[in-house]
Amino acid sequence: MLTTVLASLLAEIARRILRLVLLLAAVAVASFVLMVNSPVDPISVYVGADIAAIGPQQRALIAERWGFNDPPLERFGAWLGNLLQGDLGYSLTFNQPVGEVIAQRFLTSLALMAVAWLLSGVIGFGLGLLAGVHRGRTLDRVVTWWAYTLASAPTFWVGLLLLYVFSVWLGWTPLCCAVPVGVVADEVDLLDRIHHLLLPAVTLSIVGVAPVVLHTRQAVVEAMESDFVAFARAQGESTSGLVLHRVLRNAAAPALLLQFSSWGELFGGSVLAEQVFSYPGLGAATTQAALAQDVPLLLGIALFTTVFVFVGNQLGDLVHAWVDPRVRRPRLTAGRGVRARALAEEAA
Amino acid sequence: MATGAVRAGRWLASAAAAAAVVVAGCGTPAPAPAEGTPDEVRLAIGGESDEGYDPTLGWGRYGSPLFHSTLLTRDADLNIVPDLATSWSVSDDGLVWTVDIRTDARFTDGTPVTARDVAYTFTTASRSGGRTDVTALREAVAVDDDTVELRLTRPQSTFVNRLVSLGIVPEHAHGPDYARNPIGSGPFRLVQWDPGQQLIVERNDDYYGPRPPFRRVVFLFTDEDATMAAAAAGQVAMAAVPSSLAKATVPGMRLVPVTSVDNRGIMFPYVPATGRTTADGLPIGNDVTSDLAIRQAVNWAVDRQALVDGVLEGFGSPATGPVDGLPWYESRSAIAGNDPARAATILDAAGWIDSDGDGVRERNGLRAEFTLLYPASDTLRQGLALAVADMVRPIGVRIDAKGVSWDVIDTRIHADAVLFGWGSHDPTEMYNLYSSRQAGIEYWNPGFYANPVVDAHLDAAMAATDPEAAIEHWRAAQADETGAGFGPTGDAAWAWLVNLQHTYYVDECLDIGRPQIEPHGHGWPITAGITSWRWTC
Repeated sequence: MLTTVLASLLAEIARRILRLVLLLAAVAVASFVLMVNSPVDPISVYVGADIAAIGPQQRALIAERWGFNDPPLERFGAWLGNLLQGDLGYSLTFNQPVGEVIAQRFLTSLALMAVAWLLSGVIGFGLGLLAGVHRGRTLDRVVTWWAYTLASAPTFWVGLLLLYVFSVWLGWTPLCCAVPVGVVADEVDLLDRIHHLLLPAVTLSIVGVAPVVLHTRQAVVEAMESDFVAFARAQGESTSGLVLHRVLRNAAAPALLLQFSSWGELFGGSVLAEQVFSYPGLGAATTQAALAQDVPLLLGIALFTTVFVFVGNQLGDLVHAWVDPRVRRPRLTAGRGVRARALAEEAA
Repeated sequence: MATGAVRAGRWLASAAAAAAVVVAGCGTPAPAPAEGTPDEVRLAIGGESDEGYDPTLGWGRYGSPLFHSTLLTRDADLNIVPDLATSWSVSDDGLVWTVDIRTDARFTDGTPVTARDVAYTFTTASRSGGRTDVTALREAVAVDDDTVELRLTRPQSTFVNRLVSLGIVPEHAHGPDYARNPIGSGPFRLVQWDPGQQLIVERNDDYYGPRPPFRRVVFLFTDEDATMAAAAAGQVAMAAVPSSLAKATVPGMRLVPVTSVDNRGIMFPYVPATGRTTADGLPIGNDVTSDLAIRQAVNWAVDRQALVDGVLEGFGSPATGPVDGLPWYESRSAIAGNDPARAATILDAAGWIDSDGDGVRERNGLRAEFTLLYPASDTLRQGLALAVADMVRPIGVRIDAKGVSWDVIDTRIHADAVLFGWGSHDPTEMYNLYSSRQAGIEYWNPGFYANPVVDAHLDAAMAATDPEAAIEHWRAAQADETGAGFGPTGDAAWAWLVNLQHTYYVDECLDIGRPQIEPHGHGWPITAGITSWRWTC
């Protein structure tokens, strides 16, 4: 019995890893094809304003330095060969190995995204719960209105607004960067870093909070209307008791699933938030790499974010199954994505 | 309030650190700076070099290379003066540049700067494939400890700009990590670079040149909005802002508009459309703009001051050529003011008449109408293009201003008029824009302009071994004594419109002297005079 479970578990893991590898291959090929066919000439971008002073001979030198003279298929093959040996290549924009760029930038982004993610999850769930329980009343309307407003507010605009209010008017938060201005790395402490993280993280969390609020509210509303809640209420259970014992678990499932599957959007939002606050994370690097047609770096980032989002989704599945026993049993037979989607639709 | 407190705390902390460094450091007594000079200034003027600070890849080609010194430099009037070099000469055939260098310069790691380092720097830059074009160099040889010979493949008077812009790197410390850990003999040394955020530099007390008053300078790499916010919050001593943001009042700061040759102008296809194409199959020529009368009339009809006031909100000046105000500018080539009546006369005389009364002139069945392309993402160029179209309507010329992507411009660049922006301290740009040898190469001379007289002047300027002679020829190319030239009084090959002013908010207490006329870039070029900045409070 145990061996059967173990075998099916291993098979499941193998299946998921295979899926990841296929996904990575598809992402790499698609990104490369897109970039090679882009009408933007990377040498012109690199030369930029110096276009009047850089002659054809110098352009040839640049092309040679970057290996643009080789046919695309050969370049892709070389890149793939290096990748299999663990070498992600060399970033043209940053004059640095791609692995180093991603490692440095991701560490900075990770703190930002983690804080934003926790904030949007906790606040979103709390507000959704409140609104759902008080469905139709003023509190519900205010929260729903607020969620819709946030959902339609562009990140960079929210960021600028916060920047002016908290950094310029009130002077509570710094104007830019992940570290204090003019202070060498040795003298920067954790408190400094948190201080600089605050505003970008709040900005980023605002992107993610609205869907969590609305989905949670819907799940709560449905649970509150269910037979088992009516039964419990008939038995004299108080509202807080109802929420705590009957509704919470039901509402948590879609919220958690949503939260884990939002890693992609989180990353997308960080691109904008980092731009506004000059926060040098992976998002800012992505923008630069894309503008400069830095193929090795963009491919590296594309692969990295694929893994990142994939892991988020897998964790979502696991946590969801842990919270909601109903989805645990058929895991070994049916595809997970279908049910996740059905659940999200149902919640919406 | 809170910011003030935090800042004061930092200020004290860094002052204490400064004192510690001075005490523990080399022990050379610092000359007393003006009282109240802060230990540190913060500048938000952009200029980050993503690929690091390696001159052989192009770092320092504008403004000050900070960490490095160059053989020659340009003073506030853009005249060339010695820096690391003590003297230089060019052989009669223009192929060998001999440079003597000073012997008292040291890199910040303590080793002296020798002719070998200079030779190494030039050789490396000529092969590196970076943002500086040193391909004219055949070889660089250190003749002795303080003399270097730069041997060229072809005479190139503009090679002097490489001597001005190329910071000298130490041969013994130059390698793959150099761009992140630059060592040079310039006025500052790198303390820390946080990519995407800031660059912290400290004064090099060993520097042979003028001593900057600030012990430490922090460059903030914020975007436009955050830069403006930093200025408004009083956190920076200088902020480079686009002129659209320059109308605000910032407490404690004054607005400093700096003249530039960051220009905008209309490139006209110079030859008629005869079905000729480039090797890539792009069409060449335009039957309307190839007519001298049309080009001259547009030049006369445009009210450049109105463009400055209306589109640039006053932050600019009328442009009459690509090199306004630079030492090689020829004022004879300029036309003063605007004169629509004269434009109309020119068109009448050339046979462009509005015979069907639709407001547009014709000649032999050809309407005086052409397309003017500008990059759609550039609102400034859009404003200029639309205003120019309005200005030429009364004289019976129709311009269809079209905002398109650069991809579209690339395919129509030889057949439609295009609104370009240029501006450089290197007359090579002027050569490339007007020499018939450069027709259709890169973005140079896209209109296939060709005038043998102008070509002769440009080639003579390029081959000149004497800087004064070169300047004479550069000027003659714009308009010589016979009146020939590419300028508006001659062939009117372009209709130059405006030179931008680069706008900076500068702390009331910071005296930046008289800044140079700036090239196309806004921001970093202002650092060209950083060693002579003074604190006046």
